Amino acid sequence: MFLKTQLSWNVIIPAENLDAKGLMLQRSIIVRLMDQFARKKATKDLGYFLAIKDLESIGEGRVRELTGEVLFPVVFTAISFKLFRGEILEGVVHKVLKHGVFLRSGPVENIYLSNLKMSDYTYSPGENPEFLSEKASKIGKDVKLRFMVIGTKWMEAEREIQALVSLEGDYLGPVS
Amino acid sequence: MSGEEEENAADLKIGEEFLKAKCLMNCEVALILEHKYEQLQQMSEDPMNQVSQVFEKSLQYVKRFSRYKNPDAVKQVREVLKEYQLAEFELCVLGNLCPETVEEAIAMVPSIKYKGRGLDDEKIEKMLSDLSLIKRFE
Repeated sequence: MFLKTQLSWNVIIPAENLDAKGLMLQRSIIVRLMDQFARKKATKDLGYFLAIKDLESIGEGRVRELTGEVLFPVVFTAISFKLFRGEILEGVVHKVLKHGVFLRSGPVENIYLSNLKMSDYTYSPGENPEFLSEKASKIGKDVKLRFMVIGTKWMEAEREIQALVSLEGDYLGPVS
Repeated sequence: MSGEEEENAADLKIGEEFLKAKCLMNCEVALILEHKYEQLQQMSEDPMNQVSQVFEKSLQYVKRFSRYKNPDAVKQVREVLKEYQLAEFELCVLGNLCPETVEEAIAMVPSIKYKGRGLDDEKIEKMLSDLSLIKRFE
């Protein structure tokens, strides 16, 4: 699910980037904020950070005594993407393995659908391996699937989210 | 695997903060990201270089998975769904998946059938036909 959240962050501007002209200062605050935002990539609570939507306010700067840097409190709205357990969502298969497939949904690429969670399907090896069902339904590379999220895991070191999904349920499976 | 064992979106147990947080439909995110991308295009010759991978992948995804493209239709979808006292989360799941039947809608968002919601099959049916009407006239 895509979320829109208001966030309050501190942006630190080094003394040499400070400019008496207000517009330049505002610009360097925004550039810093965008940089900080992109580098953070994701958090456990809000998921992946996509974009800053609106800048709400830039507060009074506070000088840090030892370094001379100035710290500005900034309030903005951000768009993020988080997977919730129990959520039903659509994605695209990007890798087919013997025991299951990997899907991509939003910015998340590590979404695993195990063969155990699509028991109507059997693996069919070959140059383009795929999973086939008796009802002639196919799960191969680039197929769009509707699935349910059954578990998520936050990987602190990589700042990534992994998810396990399932096709067990009504109205789940390949979509056109 | 999940840290909070309680979390379950099917029962609308997704944490206080997310119940109130604004959720966005794929088609709404597509409009926002496309607008951002156009802004970057004006500022630089190679905008794809300016955006993060997260941005790029998300833009590709929402372009592919948006049911509504026209900005007026996108606005209407939210307005129509708002009339049915849905939680933000439910509203967006329905707007994203566009179920065709009442049975499918309940399978996608089981919480709409909970007691006290005042959403009987007839109302859900009406909601789905309102949605498909917007799609048809887009």
